[in-house]
Amino acid sequence: MGHRIVIDPLTRIEGHLKIEVEVENGRVKDAWSTGTMARGWEVLLQDKDPRDAPYITARVCAVCEGVHSVASAQALDYAFDIEVPEAGRLMRNLFCSGLYMHDHFIHFYVLSALDYLDIMAVASYKGNAPHLQALRDKIIGLVEKKDTAPFTPRYNPDEFSVTDPELVTTLVSHYIKAIELKAKSQKMLNIIAGIQPNPATIIVGGCTATPSREQLLEFQALWDEQVKFVNEVYLPDVLYLGTGPLLPLATAGLGRAHGNYLCYPMFPQNNPQSRADYALGGSNHLVSGGVITEGETNPAQPVDFGQITEAVGTSWYNYPPGVTHLHPSIGVTELNPRKDGAYSFVKAPRYNGLPMEVGPLARGLVNKYPQLMEVIKAGGKAGVVARHLCRAVESKIVGEAGFAWIDRLLQLATAGPIIGVKEKPVPRKASGMGAWDAPRGALAHWVEIGGSRIKNYQLVVPSTWNASPRDEKGVRGPYEESLIGAPVPDLENPINLVRIIRSFDPCLACAVHLIDPETNDIKVFKVS
Amino acid sequence: MDTFLLTPPEITRRDFLKIAGASLALLALTEALTPQVAKALEESLGKTMVVWLEGQDCAGCTESFANSLEPPATSILLDSISLRYHETLMAASGHQAEEARAKAIKEGGYLLVIEGSIPMAEDGLYCTIGGKTFRDIVRETASRAAAIIPVGACASYGGIPRSGPTDAVGYLFRGTQKHHYFDDVTAGKPVINLPTCPVHPERLVAVIVHYLTFGTVPPLDKFHRPLAFYGSSQHENCERRGHFDAGRFMIDWGNPRQHDWCLYLKGCRGPVASQDCWKRLWNNRTNYCIQANAPCSACSEPEFYESFSPLYERQYDVDLPGIGRVEIDKVMAIVAGVTAAGIGADMLISRTAKRKNGGNASKQKVEQKES
Repeated sequence: MGHRIVIDPLTRIEGHLKIEVEVENGRVKDAWSTGTMARGWEVLLQDKDPRDAPYITARVCAVCEGVHSVASAQALDYAFDIEVPEAGRLMRNLFCSGLYMHDHFIHFYVLSALDYLDIMAVASYKGNAPHLQALRDKIIGLVEKKDTAPFTPRYNPDEFSVTDPELVTTLVSHYIKAIELKAKSQKMLNIIAGIQPNPATIIVGGCTATPSREQLLEFQALWDEQVKFVNEVYLPDVLYLGTGPLLPLATAGLGRAHGNYLCYPMFPQNNPQSRADYALGGSNHLVSGGVITEGETNPAQPVDFGQITEAVGTSWYNYPPGVTHLHPSIGVTELNPRKDGAYSFVKAPRYNGLPMEVGPLARGLVNKYPQLMEVIKAGGKAGVVARHLCRAVESKIVGEAGFAWIDRLLQLATAGPIIGVKEKPVPRKASGMGAWDAPRGALAHWVEIGGSRIKNYQLVVPSTWNASPRDEKGVRGPYEESLIGAPVPDLENPINLVRIIRSFDPCLACAVHLIDPETNDIKVFKVS
Repeated sequence: MDTFLLTPPEITRRDFLKIAGASLALLALTEALTPQVAKALEESLGKTMVVWLEGQDCAGCTESFANSLEPPATSILLDSISLRYHETLMAASGHQAEEARAKAIKEGGYLLVIEGSIPMAEDGLYCTIGGKTFRDIVRETASRAAAIIPVGACASYGGIPRSGPTDAVGYLFRGTQKHHYFDDVTAGKPVINLPTCPVHPERLVAVIVHYLTFGTVPPLDKFHRPLAFYGSSQHENCERRGHFDAGRFMIDWGNPRQHDWCLYLKGCRGPVASQDCWKRLWNNRTNYCIQANAPCSACSEPEFYESFSPLYERQYDVDLPGIGRVEIDKVMAIVAGVTAAGIGADMLISRTAKRKNGGNASKQKVEQKES
């Protein structure tokens, strides 16, 4: 006899997610992932001026905001046939890489760490560091006032929780520091974006901002502080935890999904070589795209965008009779929140028929991040801990790459105002696709323009892949699969379940979207 | 490894004075009140309950609140408010989270912050949390609140989702119209709308501090926005206004000569935007849309976004205060002629606009044109 556990809302994520599992003999036997909110973003873009799309899609989700606006702008760059000026490409890169750094460390400290730390251990801190003593007194004060919200209530710490007062207190101090540095990161990115979060400057053809040398020098100083935090605090913390207290979770492979991985290329370091590169923002990407199927050690293959389909067998949408799955560019959607047998507003995307995990682990495996390879060599497995590790590693990679982009912008700024936009009129009829790998994973926008208006607009975003419900064949999505076998020794305290789901960094606002009926040719883009 | 020595998140008397002073400045109140505000903040330490609900949201307003550096968001969180419910920040999950909300409701008297729009179609099924529709959650949580603060364009008026298929509305408004759905539970409680996309953290912090200090809300306009923040026109105060008056309009983002010219022909909604972004700026006084060379989308207005699309297209003819009717087609003809003739683009909009005294409120005109 199994027991059912429902976690709704699953908090400390972006958006609204419900997780339901069946537990038998202390382990998860089956699982269901449900997105519980829909807004109809793609429907509201119908018949709008295509140039609105980067501004509007940035607001699908304020967490991946910059990446959405850039992917959307790239889809339009392709459709309008515009080669973005170098300054525009550099500003888009900096916007996305700055976002990467703070998004990753906020995910680790603010959204995830409470699942691994017994925060109340702070009260037992006995060290001499004055700032940590002050933090201890603060927590004791809250406890005495019996007002420890929002840190309680919580699931009880288990045998994997870090309880050493010294370590916990240090990590909680980093939690607070991370929030301050995130605010500073958005202050920095505002120099390019105009407003943060939710940018105004990313448009088709580039980026409107014209930062002065003084502004760029301020940007550089703030950048330096971000990279320093990543290199000196965030990455060491993750490495220490992953190879120390959390090693048992790493070697157990808690939270591994199907072993299928997908990522798209990001951070173009050179201008486009061909029009197809417009969809990817340029060429010679800092982080490569690729597909790995059926096992982490299998070689990565090039991405073929033609292999992507979406099914709605268990989603609250209708397809025409007899249709089970469709390529996004010929997507059909009709919301039906009362559909029998359905349980999610998230569709079920598949690559070559397979569910794919997207995000940091996919990028780490495709790009063979050295620290990840070392951990795997030492017996670590794909799963919760590996995801956290990959985020920290790539924060360092993109952070350090940013210095050269800032230098180049400073050079460009000596000759006069930076010009990051090339303009062209809205085409009467055109189509385009733009892809980027958001912090949470593979992100692509498809646009079809007719009569100089948006005829069809579609997003297939990271959390649609990861939070996918079962497809038409009954195959589980990655969240669901990653929960199978997870130990739940105490039904009242299913802490492993939230560790697993949060390790994906869910972002449900993006995951749920609607596509309107429209038929076009399938656009096939291949990237490597 | 710990090179980032933490500033202890401890609020001292000096901090209270600083926050109090800053908040009064934000609200344009006399500094003589500073001690009174500081005292109220101290007394309210750890006592002010806040319940923060998220519906059809993007977490942008949460992100924006967390961007507060003066005072730091963590100080507010640890020292000034007791955040009983916030899906993105709270430790609790599932039934623990819902129990925390139920407990707060039982105690009553909290500030209710709402982020994201509320879907009304299909009996509210487009957003459910813990098995309840969001509109029911808003209803039961509002019933015991002391005051209600919808943050961002979505919770105030429906925002971008309002143009989608889920009948997304704000707490009081569907666009410019009141929908009265929550009138029974609102029952005279103050409702303070803080639109823009996302909410500006300073405006939110100042409203909370004002409420803690005086137990009242600052004066509001007919769309329930504090006049202190939403009482001035972007256009009248724009740093590019000189270019507007001189007829220097950006027509090409790729032309370095035009890089700081008026964005009116690029779709700027400054003439219909009532806010103080022009002096407050964003992200700790760093920058804002127009300074970053992007047109204002008037996200402070109840009509945003549907009525303002296309965002990057020149506006319809519009009456401007102090200027009168601006006939855009004539302007564009001049622009085209000047450009074609290779004579710099310093065309004069005043040639096509008859200057008259006063001028009419511009927003109504735009609405008429677009409805």
